[in-house]
Amino acid sequence: MPTPGFRTWLWVAGLIVAVSAMPARTQPGNSPSGQSAVDVQTLFASTCGFCHSDGGRAAGKGPQLMNTTRTDEFLRDRIKNGKEGAMPAFGQMLSDADIDAIIKYIRELKPEGQG
Amino acid sequence: MFGKAASVTGMLSLAIGITISGPALAQPVDTALIDTGSANDWLTYHGSYKSYHYSPLDQINTGNVRDLQVAWIHVPGRSTRGLQSMPLAADGVLYYTGSHSRTFALDGATGKVIWSYIPELDEALVARQTHSPYNRGAAIGEGKVFVGTVDGRLIALDMKTGKPAWDTKLINSQKLTVGFTGAPLYAKGVVVIGAQGGEWPYRGPIFGVDAATGQKKWEFLTVGGTDDALKTWGNESWRTGGGGGWMPGTFDTASNTIWWGTANPAPLYDWSGPDYKTSGARPGDNLYTTSVIGLDIDTGQLKFYHQELPHDAWDFDSAVGEFVMLDRDGKHYVIHPNKSGFIFVYDRADAKVENVWPLVKNINFVKTIDPKTGELIGRRDFQAGKVAEPLCPHISGGVSWNSGSYNPATGMYYKLGQEWCMTLEVVKTTPITEPQAQLNLGAVFKIAPPPGGEIYGHLDARDPITGAKKWEVRFPEPPLGSVMSTAGNLVFVPDSRGTVHAYTATTGAELWNHGDGLGHQGGIISYAAGGKQYVAVVAGFGGMAADDYAPTFGEPYKSMPRDEGVLVVYSLK
Repeated sequence: MPTPGFRTWLWVAGLIVAVSAMPARTQPGNSPSGQSAVDVQTLFASTCGFCHSDGGRAAGKGPQLMNTTRTDEFLRDRIKNGKEGAMPAFGQMLSDADIDAIIKYIRELKPEGQG
Repeated sequence: MFGKAASVTGMLSLAIGITISGPALAQPVDTALIDTGSANDWLTYHGSYKSYHYSPLDQINTGNVRDLQVAWIHVPGRSTRGLQSMPLAADGVLYYTGSHSRTFALDGATGKVIWSYIPELDEALVARQTHSPYNRGAAIGEGKVFVGTVDGRLIALDMKTGKPAWDTKLINSQKLTVGFTGAPLYAKGVVVIGAQGGEWPYRGPIFGVDAATGQKKWEFLTVGGTDDALKTWGNESWRTGGGGGWMPGTFDTASNTIWWGTANPAPLYDWSGPDYKTSGARPGDNLYTTSVIGLDIDTGQLKFYHQELPHDAWDFDSAVGEFVMLDRDGKHYVIHPNKSGFIFVYDRADAKVENVWPLVKNINFVKTIDPKTGELIGRRDFQAGKVAEPLCPHISGGVSWNSGSYNPATGMYYKLGQEWCMTLEVVKTTPITEPQAQLNLGAVFKIAPPPGGEIYGHLDARDPITGAKKWEVRFPEPPLGSVMSTAGNLVFVPDSRGTVHAYTATTGAELWNHGDGLGHQGGIISYAAGGKQYVAVVAGFGGMAADDYAPTFGEPYKSMPRDEGVLVVYSLK
């Protein structure tokens, strides 16, 4: 086989970039929606909102998430592993991509009516 | 019938002044004994099958309750989310459960541990659960103590030794996420227990288990449990319908009927708008969620039902509270609170509605409920989006799942009401069942005060059938525990700040109180041991409703531990 020319490498590179830019393909039983990453608004309305009031904007049964000073690592760990008696462990239910999306959602939370 | 017998006992005890029997004969705890009630004991969650949460003992009474003091305490340990259980007492022994279904038998006079049983739970599963690892109490019968677990099992322990007699797995909790938080009910050789379920996308089973062997006798699915019921769930929404029966009901010996309350459907909040019968997440009335049901205790077959809230769109379960078996003027009633704060009065024969009256002021999920038919008038069915006017009551209900008390001597029903509301935005959701069932709420929401007022709670003394109010005592934060009344003309209320109060049952005058150090969200009983009357109450605050208290009210809730619990037992010197 002839040595791949520049255009071939460009094509392969493009393919590699395209593939790695795709959101993680879900394994069966990974992301609950079956999509590549969970819709966080809907997740709050189905599950998280039981304790995180107003989509995470207010303290309620659980702490306020809007403007939290917790690090990404803390949030990831808390979501995956929970806290005994306080928060369930969602690691089996949510993929890393899902948790990325949740952290993004938390960081972007604004008071009601502000974006 | 039972009501008359109880009031005769009550009157006699007031006349004689002592009802505590002499040397205890070790009577077996069986259906007959639980049915008639045993003055020195508390043999089932609701006190007796009459479900009065009443003690006929009057050694402690309005004349001397000011001298009530701590006799002993017990710390069960590992009280994650506090203590929520109703203790039981038989023959001077107190039985109670803590979180993680830890079960204890204690000498009722001294608190000495006779035995303990700590079941091994699936800890990884418990970590994935929302309501875990509460336990609201045990049942006793045929020489056994029965307790459920959040990982889906029902366990029988030898009453004398605490050794397990059988341990039956009833639910695949690993898949369904939920198990049992409520106390079971023993009657006629059967142990009945209902699963959690309202928020969870399955079908909310209630089980009847053979008390001797642990074999499952029957299973009743509260979601679509009959062909007729399946028709009330459009688009196969019964598959993820919720339901359940997570608190104990009672047993009517005369008709061989289990009375039980069922939980709400899922998602809790629907987006159907007014057309809930044909559109939305679960079109139809959604039988038999948010209903009281009568089941044959031997077969689990449905005999009758009344759906308190057809197409419940607000999470106001019927799974809560007491089933007061009351007789008046020759009629036989059952009085049952719905979580919304409406009190339903039923004909005991068939759950026909005799009256419906509101315990709480702040109700706007309906305009009213027709007292003759039970029909909901002016119901608020939401569409997706922000709900303009706050919804009342709050998701924590107009009443807690804990119980009120009927006092046959005064003829009054003593019940705690909760005045609070919520803002919400309804969102279309999809039930999640893989790899494990997840909550399906259907809205984001926040607690809110009632329009033009503050959140508060109140203890009412009411006529149970007409709802006529005799007196009321207010609390700045709603008490969440159970209420008990006694033949000593007393009503005991353990509040959320941690104080137990004793009021004169006839007038509501406060006669005594004492701090337990932790808020209350569980049971309170009275029993006798060695000729002396005791009042036992669990303290420990941290359940779902309690979780809102710190951000809403500040102290003492802000600094109150959420994972501690203690059993406190009082007596006269």
